[in-house]
Amino acid sequence: MPIFEVNGRQYEVDEDGFLQDPSIWNEEVAKDFATTEGVTELTDKHWKVIHYLRNYYLQFGIAPMIRKLCKETGFKLNEIYELFPSGPAKGACKLAGLPKPTGCV
Amino acid sequence: MSKNVKLSDMARPDDEPLLHLENRDLMPLPPPLDDPAKDHDWTPLSPQVRQQFECRLDDTCAVSVPKPKSREEERQLVEKFLAGLDKLFIKEDNWSFLQPLVLSMEHCARCQTCSQACHIYEASGYSELYRPTYRSEIVRRLYYKYVKHGGLLAAFQHGDIELNWPLVARLIELSYRCNLCRRCAQTCPLGVDNGLVAHELRKLFSQEMGIAPKEIHEQGSVLQLKVGSSTGMNALVVKDNIAFIDEEMTEKTGIKVETPWDVEGADVLLIHNAGEILAWPENPGAFAIILTAAGIKWTLSSELAGYDAINYGLWYDDAQFARVALKHAEAARKLKVKKIVLGECGHANKALSVVADRVLVGDHNVPRESAITLLHEIVMSGRLKLDPSRNDFPVTLHDPCNLVRLMGVVSPQREILHKICPQFREMEPHGVDNYCCGGGSGFAIMSGHNFPDWRFHVSGRKKLEQVLKVFADCLDPSINKYVCAPCSNCKGQFRDMIAYYDLWNKHRIGYGGLVELIVNAMEDVKPGFIDWEWH
Repeated sequence: MPIFEVNGRQYEVDEDGFLQDPSIWNEEVAKDFATTEGVTELTDKHWKVIHYLRNYYLQFGIAPMIRKLCKETGFKLNEIYELFPSGPAKGACKLAGLPKPTGCV
Repeated sequence: MSKNVKLSDMARPDDEPLLHLENRDLMPLPPPLDDPAKDHDWTPLSPQVRQQFECRLDDTCAVSVPKPKSREEERQLVEKFLAGLDKLFIKEDNWSFLQPLVLSMEHCARCQTCSQACHIYEASGYSELYRPTYRSEIVRRLYYKYVKHGGLLAAFQHGDIELNWPLVARLIELSYRCNLCRRCAQTCPLGVDNGLVAHELRKLFSQEMGIAPKEIHEQGSVLQLKVGSSTGMNALVVKDNIAFIDEEMTEKTGIKVETPWDVEGADVLLIHNAGEILAWPENPGAFAIILTAAGIKWTLSSELAGYDAINYGLWYDDAQFARVALKHAEAARKLKVKKIVLGECGHANKALSVVADRVLVGDHNVPRESAITLLHEIVMSGRLKLDPSRNDFPVTLHDPCNLVRLMGVVSPQREILHKICPQFREMEPHGVDNYCCGGGSGFAIMSGHNFPDWRFHVSGRKKLEQVLKVFADCLDPSINKYVCAPCSNCKGQFRDMIAYYDLWNKHRIGYGGLVELIVNAMEDVKPGFIDWEWH
């Protein structure tokens, strides 16, 4: 597996740069992965999205519908793209330590 | 650029890719993307990736095959490959596709009529490596030498070939440089099917060597058979999501939407590609509105795989294909429904309606129909009150290869659009002569390393050209435009490619399914079902 090195720490990631073991996630992981997704500073808005994704994932084992994410956090999709330039699936989910969404999504 | 790759290069022992493409090598695009210098640069594969995985075919890597650690391991892999190759030509092991495969091996006249039909070959600037007969010719020579044991005479008659691990490694990747659209097979005067050759290779690699892209195998058919859906949704999650969609749609349309689950004896068991539920909720929502308004007794199923029509095995593995097809039939049998209707998903339509006909026998052989023909019947019957003026914007229709060229569902969707979209216009060519979106056979969801760069620049290029041409007179961003693509995989490709080239922001080229246009025209629905937001 590829290794992602940042701030003196090493993470095992998959071919798309997603954290290999979602269970080791903590807020420091989000900060470390932010550097790969063009997010310079994690604001309260970022954390709102990250925590929603994280909690949903712990409850259901997958990422939520994007529409649900927008409704529950109150952000429109384009606002999510402003926060996470690679978008909700490839950007926000990566910072929240979720596996990459699967299937035709 | 190294356009003139020879057949013998496939066995080159070095690690250097056989082909490198620059933007200026590719087929030119029409305005506004006509300047290759302004096109995105391709992300190169990192040295780390090149060191770990077999990347010696071209600029990208779809399958991520780990490099063997020793000569011995290489030798074993080549042996497995040969054993698998043999099986492809044994009736008991390959009853499904043996005959067309043998025909394709033995009857190619090398006329190259097929080459001009291939969008990948053309878009790559006619790179020899992607010529549809290049891959087949390698397999053909292996067939005469190792399956038919033709000896020197075969080498003389059909051309010799050297078999080693580098060749197998390159062939694995090369089997994933074809969309399996089979436009080449359609044009061949002899019926030789180069798409099938790519498919049979993928099958050999998966069934015999355990090698397949993770997106379609581990995270695709394996996950589907384990939890119920390739999206990872189990029955609980999918019901929760559908309930959310029902609420949203009720609010949006002013019509009470309530999706029925597990209704015994229903006339129609509707099976969506579950990706629709997560990524394009308007699509299942619109289906619910239309079927209910048309008075059809329909249901969804919460059985394992009963709520996810995908059958990725169609692209790479007959065994996985059969397992999933049986689950679909089982869900229908349990509920005693009259028929299965497949939602807007091209490969799922062909998989269950056509190909599974060889797998489903007895009471598993439940009648199966594409949603497109059912929708046609509903729209033409006059059961819905439709106001075409609500769809008064430029609309074009993309033909999913599986549904159109490979199943023959051509007119119903067009008749619907002619009825409800005053500005409907066709791309050229279209219908059974269509071009693949570029995401076919799983490419739309394969995103490892820099593979998306390849599918935007090469496999998706011909379709991109068609879309730009069909809307050339209305590229102005003040005019909203709609590419109707009744297939989840195609929609994924359009979404990603439109975003990559910024065509939504700059030119308001949007995309969506067929049912959304129908509901958008329904008089009983609040206006503005299609909301022109980027989804």
